[in-house]
Amino acid sequence: MSLYELLGTLEVGFVFGLVALGAFLSFRILDFPDMTVEGSFPLGAAVFAVLATAGVNPWLATLCGTAAGFVAGYITASLNVRFKILHIMAGILVAISLYSLNLRIMGGPNKPLLNVDTVFSSFEGFGIPGIYVTPVFLGIAAIAAKLALDLFLATGVGLSMRAAGANPAMASANGIDVGRMRLLGVGIANALTGMAGALFAQLFGAADAYMGIGVIIVGLASVIVGTSLFPSRTLFLASLACLAGALLYRLAVALALNADFLGLYASDVQLVTAILVAITLVGQSTGAGRHIKRRLKK
Amino acid sequence: MIHLKDIRLTFNKGTPLETSALNGVNLQVPNGQFLTVIGSNGAGKSTSLNVIAGIYKPDAGNVLIDSSDVTSWSVHQRARLLSRVFQDPKMGTCEDLTILENFALALGRTNGRGMRLAISDSVREQAKNRLKLLDLGLDKRLDDRVGLLSGGQRQAVSLLMATSGNTRVLLLDEHTAALDPKTASFVMDLTRRIVDELQLTVVMVTHSMAQALQFGHRTVMFHRGNIIFDVTGEDRSKLTVPDLLALFKRDQGEELSDDALLLG
Repeated sequence: MSLYELLGTLEVGFVFGLVALGAFLSFRILDFPDMTVEGSFPLGAAVFAVLATAGVNPWLATLCGTAAGFVAGYITASLNVRFKILHIMAGILVAISLYSLNLRIMGGPNKPLLNVDTVFSSFEGFGIPGIYVTPVFLGIAAIAAKLALDLFLATGVGLSMRAAGANPAMASANGIDVGRMRLLGVGIANALTGMAGALFAQLFGAADAYMGIGVIIVGLASVIVGTSLFPSRTLFLASLACLAGALLYRLAVALALNADFLGLYASDVQLVTAILVAITLVGQSTGAGRHIKRRLKK
Repeated sequence: MIHLKDIRLTFNKGTPLETSALNGVNLQVPNGQFLTVIGSNGAGKSTSLNVIAGIYKPDAGNVLIDSSDVTSWSVHQRARLLSRVFQDPKMGTCEDLTILENFALALGRTNGRGMRLAISDSVREQAKNRLKLLDLGLDKRLDDRVGLLSGGQRQAVSLLMATSGNTRVLLLDEHTAALDPKTASFVMDLTRRIVDELQLTVVMVTHSMAQALQFGHRTVMFHRGNIIFDVTGEDRSKLTVPDLLALFKRDQGEELSDDALLLG
């Protein structure tokens, strides 16, 4: 693997680190299996692309992509909380409708970002060699998001959210509005995903209606790989493990695709992902993985 | 004060499984009274408690707590006025969180929660002082996860959490039923101490007739969705379990046939 490929893997790994943090919040903290991300990831990208090509400041456009993700998550959680639709179903409904909506937002299946300023261009010319700027910036962004999430989960509201996910009956008996926690939490998870989508579009120079396919499994894979490999007794370590999981997962995929003897194409990435996740889960439930899992539970 | 006014509740209405759980229950518990509630399975005692807590909404009737009509309030809204301890020790605490974090959650019930850090020095101090009451050394294990505690310890912690903050009404739902006899009596003694000290209004549902008569100021018995008797004061202090059984037979014309009720 060349240096360029490694840097590219790191860039994508950090972007998906944001998705992993979102998956950690919805799946692990809130116990809400959220499928919305399949739609909110390209939504973030589409919103960014349309605004940025219209001349909006790239930072503001990224922020708008993030906010759009929040709204998508909020709608999923409302379908579940207010209208009692099963959480998985609610997410699928929103993701499917976002597919059409993204096509409308972009006015077509994709939107190239030619000669458009990105958030990365703000850092050019600071003396860091060009190829390092993007991975360093994305690394800082991912770590900042992780720390912000840790801090949020330590606040009164964040603690209530953790209780709402872990023991809803106890949470409501202690005056916590479990429904509101879901609205807020799933919203934040999808805001992180929307931000990841906006950054991903800037990384690859285009937004695409199909770029959301498999995002859910990438996020989950990162959480599962990360928290299985690294002991994560505290929240600080667990969210760190999610970021590490995202990097490792991208690295594993890159290596698999690079290994010529395997004869894999780039289009095999989804298959490789599914196999990696399956191996991790099998490893968790048998032999070697079991004591790790038990340690995580305690 | 708790006031149930003509509460009616039917489960699975309009289906073959339709069961009428409460048939016009009237109950008034004045401030500072410790009420014990007995009855066989399906008599309506736990259902009534759940109606007070807001888990079930009655089909008809009103629920008043401290003179506010809370009939339409949700569970979390009522948490400002009342607190409860569940039968299952796992229910009352959050096992993934530390003892301290659990206390912070309970204190947030009346103190409000915001974007400030949940754990402050004052929360730590309050939790420590409360836990010293137990004399189990838990005040030195504030940062241990609750999942590491035994069932009895968790139930004791739940009780302390429920009586932190300034709610005046405490609901106990067979809170010693899942514990071994020694731990159960420890938790019961603790309950009595705290309730006496804080002068709380208590409704305790129990499966044990002996426990119902031994603790508190007043006992009511449920049968088929109604309160069939209500004793207090001197009448109650003279009452024994056999008397209670005789009373039941006289009023209902049938033998009480719930083993748990007799053996408990």
